Amino acid sequence: MKAFETFHPIVLFSFFVAAISLSMFFMHPIYLAITIFSAISLNIALRRQLFFKDWKLYVPLFFLMAIINPLISHNGQLVLLYINGNALTVEAIMYGIAIATMIVAVMLWFSCYNVVMTSDKFIYLFGKVSPALSLTLSISLRLVPRFRHQLTQIVQAQKVIGMDYTTGSLWHRIKCTMRILSILITWALDNAIDTADSMKARGYGIKKRTAFSLFFFERRDGFVLAIIILLFVSNFAASFIGTTTFYFYPTFGAVKWDIGSILFYSSYFALLSIPLAIEIKGALKWRSLKSTM
Amino acid sequence: MAFVKINNVSFTYPNEANPILKNINLTIQQGEFIVLIGQSGCGKSTLLRHFKRELHPHGEMTGDIFYKDCDLEQLDSEVAATDIGYVFQNPENQIVTDKVWHELAFGLESLGVDSQTIRRRVAEMANFFGIQKWFHHKTTELSGGQKQLLNLASIMVMQPKLLLLDEPTSQLDPIAALEFIQTLHRLNKELGITIILIEHRLEEILPLADRVLIMDEGSILFDGPPKEILKELPANHAMITALPAATKIFHQLSGVGPVPLTIREGQRFLSTQQVIPSHLPPSKSQNEKNIVLEAKDIAFRYEKNGLDVVHHFNLQVKEQEFLTIIGGNGTGKSTVLSILSGLQKPYRGKVFLFNKILKSYSNKQLYQQYLTLLPQNPKTLFVQKTVHQELEDMARLHKVSEKKIQETIHLFHLTHLLNRHPYDLSGGEQQKLALAKLLLMEPRILLLDEPTKGLDAHAKEELAQILKDLQAKGMTIIMVTHDIEFSAQYSNRCALFFDGNIVSEEEPRAFYSGNNFYTTAAHRISRELLSNAITCEDVVTLCKKTCV
Repeated sequence: MKAFETFHPIVLFSFFVAAISLSMFFMHPIYLAITIFSAISLNIALRRQLFFKDWKLYVPLFFLMAIINPLISHNGQLVLLYINGNALTVEAIMYGIAIATMIVAVMLWFSCYNVVMTSDKFIYLFGKVSPALSLTLSISLRLVPRFRHQLTQIVQAQKVIGMDYTTGSLWHRIKCTMRILSILITWALDNAIDTADSMKARGYGIKKRTAFSLFFFERRDGFVLAIIILLFVSNFAASFIGTTTFYFYPTFGAVKWDIGSILFYSSYFALLSIPLAIEIKGALKWRSLKSTM
Repeated sequence: MAFVKINNVSFTYPNEANPILKNINLTIQQGEFIVLIGQSGCGKSTLLRHFKRELHPHGEMTGDIFYKDCDLEQLDSEVAATDIGYVFQNPENQIVTDKVWHELAFGLESLGVDSQTIRRRVAEMANFFGIQKWFHHKTTELSGGQKQLLNLASIMVMQPKLLLLDEPTSQLDPIAALEFIQTLHRLNKELGITIILIEHRLEEILPLADRVLIMDEGSILFDGPPKEILKELPANHAMITALPAATKIFHQLSGVGPVPLTIREGQRFLSTQQVIPSHLPPSKSQNEKNIVLEAKDIAFRYEKNGLDVVHHFNLQVKEQEFLTIIGGNGTGKSTVLSILSGLQKPYRGKVFLFNKILKSYSNKQLYQQYLTLLPQNPKTLFVQKTVHQELEDMARLHKVSEKKIQETIHLFHLTHLLNRHPYDLSGGEQQKLALAKLLLMEPRILLLDEPTKGLDAHAKEELAQILKDLQAKGMTIIMVTHDIEFSAQYSNRCALFFDGNIVSEEEPRAFYSGNNFYTTAAHRISRELLSNAITCEDVVTLCKKTCV
């Protein structure tokens, strides 16, 4: 288990809400550089193998999006050349790259989210809001793999009696599929009677449910949560002041390098590198523990 | 003070003419371990559900039930939910949530218990049941035995006083079933929990029970300790066949003295009989017949980088043979059947059907004329509203004559069930219907995947009779099973599947007398005296012969 994952779900969830929502709105080159850099490093830390596989998807996606914008947008003053009488401008190209960076960064954040926020953490968070909803989620998560298993059984049994949905005329295939689905549903409903009985037998519906969980909210969780909130607020303030705004059209705005702006940039970087910092700290700690053993 | 008292309870299901429970009177003391047995349809499950208010069946009930001198109907709903626990037959269906720890907490969550208490109770039970290792697992990843233990544990966290179980081991393999029963025994001995258990696998459970209730057509026929059963039950009652091997042998040899229940007691009883060590001729084999199905060096795996489930698998099946393949749970026996039936393709090796490679048959040809596979769960075949429509549906698909349908109905004794919904049939009846459907196609080879799972002694006998009839008519039968007794009694050849291939194969008498552990109860009882008796009948015949 990675160090960051061991934090309380509420901490993890707030981090991703902050990181993803801010990344989606800030189109400033510095901010984009920070978010893509942090997202990539966290991906490498958390997903390693998977991440290197995903490159096949992200790189073409990045270029595709970067190319589309200059093809449809002809604003900007720095004209490179004309295609069919339409201007191809540096601004449009840069804007395309910026949008592509932003989208890829958000996707990378989401892929980390999927690793860290496992179903039980998500269910736990929802349980705080509505215990009934969290139970529904938990039941559905159990049913999906179960249905898949039952479906394979039904498909095989039906194949033996000549109802193979992979061969024959279109009409035959439709008929077979309908038949398989019908069996699946009847079977599932029949099983559901047992499940309902089993819930009732264990007192479901007598009282207001509580939501039990295995998670503890420790002092370090409070500490990290406070930092996340603080940094989120400061970044929010930055966008109010206008530090995070950057113009691509009609031509590029200027990137500010005054003390105030640099402080705001660093606060963004600090926020997004929280998980990576935790991972590094965890790794160093293990190394020192090992050497003293 | 009686713990549970049932006064004159009768019960009739809606739209049924006859009551399913007739004037039941019963007093249960705290701490008793009671086994409730009876043929399917005798009303034992209905009676068990009467003990649990939340699960009362719909219908008309007369009489009273008292729990700790309080009318069950008046009982506080929280007490009713916690004090009386119920475990169902199917381990899958009663699991509600996706994680083991969440399932354990489910009941307590429903009662609004605070997290700290839940944490403690869940920890306690996880320890008692040895669940720590898979505490964080997903419930879908568990084996059948683990699932049923989880169900029991998630009842136990609510600290029940009375535990009701409806055939909890019927879907489990013998080893998991034994583990489950031993856990129940511990709960009874160490915590003093009152247990009422419906069971049809009596070999292991009967020696542990304090009291046995035998039900017959809605009334209680016998109520007493297990050793008394033979004294009071009519000599040719159907439940006799369900008793442990030692008891059956004792009964058929008209033994006197204490009734043996366990293997050890059976051995002791047999040693008091004047038996001269003797030998039976081997059972008839089909050696001279043609090979109809042959597997050569099959290797199979489910995933590219996974382990081989089946490898170096060789098998020859002769015409008109009844072959049983036995082996542990999850070792790939079912996979073997799906390879032999062409549903899964091996990545190495070949299957030959009537000397032609299996791949050269079209699916239509293969499944309509040559072979068929009875799936483990017959529900995967049912689409219609009645049994009759089920058969007609199949007949329409494969252009079977009305005469053939009538013949099949007759062969499978389905006449009285024709208008019932397939889902309302008992496990044994569903199995029969599924088999009847498949055999409308007139295949020459029949493959069966654990057909005796969940069947009671009577249904098993009926299935065996049908299989014997089919075999006499020329059918070749290959069956995968856990059921050693069934395999020993009815098959012509037995094969042990282990680690991806067949380790040994022989005719049943040689096969089971060659094994020390993996063998029938009757052989374990008689091994010292009789070298190759493997069924109760064998033991009885040899004993009678030598006594005369």
